[in-house]
Amino acid sequence: MTSTLTALLNLPLFWATLTIAAFYVGQQLYRLSNNHVLIPPILTGLLLVVMAIELSQTPFSVYMQGGDYLHQWLGPVVVMLAIPLYQHITTMRQQWLRIILAVTLGSATTVACAMALAYWWIGDDIITRTMATKSITTPVAIAISEQVGGISALASAFVIATGIIGAILIPIVLKVSGVTHAPTIGLTLGVCAHAVGTGRALELGQEQAAYAAMAMTLTATFHAMVLPWLL
Amino acid sequence: MQGLLILLFFLLLGTVFQFLFSLPIPASILGMLLLLAALMLRGRIPDSLVQISKTLSPLLPLFLIPVSAGIVTQTTILSEHGLVLLAILTVSLIPGILVCALIMRLWARSS
Repeated sequence: MTSTLTALLNLPLFWATLTIAAFYVGQQLYRLSNNHVLIPPILTGLLLVVMAIELSQTPFSVYMQGGDYLHQWLGPVVVMLAIPLYQHITTMRQQWLRIILAVTLGSATTVACAMALAYWWIGDDIITRTMATKSITTPVAIAISEQVGGISALASAFVIATGIIGAILIPIVLKVSGVTHAPTIGLTLGVCAHAVGTGRALELGQEQAAYAAMAMTLTATFHAMVLPWLL
Repeated sequence: MQGLLILLFFLLLGTVFQFLFSLPIPASILGMLLLLAALMLRGRIPDSLVQISKTLSPLLPLFLIPVSAGIVTQTTILSEHGLVLLAILTVSLIPGILVCALIMRLWARSS
């Protein structure tokens, strides 16, 4: 019995299946909670997978042999981001200057603040580098983090945390500042809170969602092209 | 099927570009930019691409779980700096939000 269990825990297919099952549970829970912003499926799924790895005391490298089945899909999914970018290119052409400025300066501001704070408060070079990718959608953040010498697992945790905090904080900060302009709300959610923010924007309205999706993709593209040269 | 083939083709093309010009930009991003250029030249999105994007998009968070689970290898950093990191992530958002809103607003008035 024990040896069967050990064999199972060393099987890549077991961990791939477990990851899919954990995500499925996350999706169901999200639906049951009426799409509550605090429990996105990725968070539940991730917690379940982490618990399984810890409880079974499986080395991460063994888990990843199975996890890699799913991980390899990130490449084609990033290429796929060309589709929303293309779809919004007409809107962008009409007001490209203000959109480009808001995306580049807005995202640069939050990233620079995060890096400066990490440098002052923690002073660890690798953590500071990893902070650089915190406002970009996770698949791109991971790719860049690997490129600039950050820690991709940590980058992913920063991105997920930023998304959840941003999705809650951004609408509140904008409301307090008296901003009601739908494109502004959408764009800010996309720039500062990437995919989770875009999901939040979808709940606020179609216009907000379109701007958020476009801003998220533009932010990711801009950072992917700039960060590797800077760091 | 054809849509997936297109995505993989552009991913490979991005990898070739990255290798040929030894660029520091991730291959998947290069692939995305090349696909965007191809779509702009063609003037429309092929149905097969729309289809594969409908299939893959809802699964995106699933593909992110494995690498994110790597957090189990970072317990030292998290137990040492976890709360500070959370504070940094929260505080650093506010100036970013204000800059975005300000730029969008300045322009809305002038135009």
